[in-house]
Amino acid sequence: MRYVKIPTEKVCEFLERLKAMGTLYGPKKISEKFYDFKEIGDVKEVEFEYNRTITPPRKFFFPERETVFTFDTANVEIHETLPTGEPIIIFGVHACDIVGLRIMDSRFIDDQPDPYYQIRRENGIIIGLSCLPDEYCFCSVRRTDFVDAGFDLFLHPLPDGYLIRVGTVTGHKLIENSPEYFEEISSEDKDNFAKFETKRRSMFTVQGNWDDMRYRLELHLEHPMYMRESDRCLGCGNCTLTCPTCRCYEVKDLPTLDGTGGERIRFWDSCQFRSHGLVAGGHNFRPTRKVRFHNRYQCKNAYCETTTTAYCVGCGRCTYYCPADIQFKENLLEVYGTGGGA
Amino acid sequence: MSKPDPMKTYETHKCRLLRVYGLTTYEKLFLFRFDDPEIAQSWRFMPGQFVELSLLGHGEVPISICSSARRMGFFELCIRKAGRVTSEIHELKPGDLVRIRGPYGNGFPMDRFYDRDLLLVAAGLGMAPLRSVFLYALDNRWLFGNITIINSSKLGKELLFAKELKAMRDIATAENIEIIQTATRDPDWGGLTGRAPSHLDKANVDPKKCTAALCGPPRMYKSMFEQMITLGYDPRYIFVNLERRMKCGVGKCGHCNIGTATSWKYACKDGPVFDYYDIISIPGLI
Repeated sequence: MRYVKIPTEKVCEFLERLKAMGTLYGPKKISEKFYDFKEIGDVKEVEFEYNRTITPPRKFFFPERETVFTFDTANVEIHETLPTGEPIIIFGVHACDIVGLRIMDSRFIDDQPDPYYQIRRENGIIIGLSCLPDEYCFCSVRRTDFVDAGFDLFLHPLPDGYLIRVGTVTGHKLIENSPEYFEEISSEDKDNFAKFETKRRSMFTVQGNWDDMRYRLELHLEHPMYMRESDRCLGCGNCTLTCPTCRCYEVKDLPTLDGTGGERIRFWDSCQFRSHGLVAGGHNFRPTRKVRFHNRYQCKNAYCETTTTAYCVGCGRCTYYCPADIQFKENLLEVYGTGGGA
Repeated sequence: MSKPDPMKTYETHKCRLLRVYGLTTYEKLFLFRFDDPEIAQSWRFMPGQFVELSLLGHGEVPISICSSARRMGFFELCIRKAGRVTSEIHELKPGDLVRIRGPYGNGFPMDRFYDRDLLLVAAGLGMAPLRSVFLYALDNRWLFGNITIINSSKLGKELLFAKELKAMRDIATAENIEIIQTATRDPDWGGLTGRAPSHLDKANVDPKKCTAALCGPPRMYKSMFEQMITLGYDPRYIFVNLERRMKCGVGKCGHCNIGTATSWKYACKDGPVFDYYDIISIPGLI
């Protein structure tokens, strides 16, 4: 892998250069406590030390709502509304979210690729940014705290700049096209990179490896945690909407008033909603809050072959943004550790 | 391997409704033909697969194909009037156009059926996908041994394709096909009564060299499995066709998710056909 360094004072200029290549998005502070990925107008607004964004980066490739086609009912014809493939650059993506995107890829660019997702993804540039964990983070036990793939560039903080790993040819081009911003790394930079990594790793509140979590969960499917915690759940779906790997979508036809045409839209759905498993005739495959709650714990801990990780990447959003303060990590640890006699 | 074409994933085809047959109070059989002759020529499916049928402006529903895979350019769907979209479909008249995408799902692994006896056990609407297997076997009669089909429902008048099966009686005898139709709770029914498992002993198949395909409510599977294994059926050759809320059909939208953390499946893509060992290793499948 190629490594270069960008000194702190050159970062803003580099971001300006990126803006010329497409729409630039990055983490911005949007309220006293929260951050989100937003289009970057003034590059000085980019937050380099944010904990997590409310919405996950998948929204750039799989938007909250999109029209899949418009239709003409008289001739029963459809007109697909594919993305135009405008280039976008997402700056400041944390390692866990990069794995999240790779998990999205594994399901949306498989042997039956989703064209809407694929076109956007092929026109997206991902620039990663290393971070220090807070008490909500558990990417370490998910093996998603350090990424090998899924980024064009990845920035690791140094005292006077960033050490950059170059992940793709696109990444190499970004460096080549702006040589004035970059320099070769020194042995001091290498030392500082190692120091940062040691510090980062020591800060996790949970250590170890959760590769066997899914088996521990499966051996205790009736654990009392599910009933106790789902009783507190409001069923609001915040956990799934903020999740970087949740990808359930609902589809709806919106006819025009005269009925001659309309559009078919798809929009984010949540397995926490009652309607998720409801079929014609009134049968519901997941009729209670408990089974819906249980379902999410199973789905998030399932195994993704592409990344060899769980579908949950340990970003902590589902807990951080839960209005009922349901602690996903602690609940999993409870089942993992004790079995609860179930 | 060439890269899969993303434009094929959700591709829909215009289809014309040719005929509608009333089957029961709530179920009708719809015969469709592809509008585009090239699609009509090339479109293939396997028994157990399903399509997504769109009525533009109303929505889209997953429906099992119930015709023979041998009949090309045409296909039949048995549709129960159950919700908003299917109620609109029931209003369609011959000549009306719809859009179809698919076929989706794994379908029955027919190569596991060849040179063996065949047992089909259907309850209620489960007869729809199994009719596709049954007709496939009739159209390729030489590839199968003896055949038994058990068709069951609560009331006699709810038995799907009852008349069609009855009309086959003569040819069935000549072709070593046993047709068993039973109503489980119908005092006015003059034919066989009792649930499907209670008629297993009448099957003209050898359990040891028989492949079975089952489709019905989950509780039927449990009692069927117990009885079949007692009778010596080989679990490797027992298949079920499961239904979930298969909204997208291509393993994306997540509504048909089933299983637990070690065995997470999409019914639409990993299924809807599962075998006995899937059932016992994926909690919640039935």
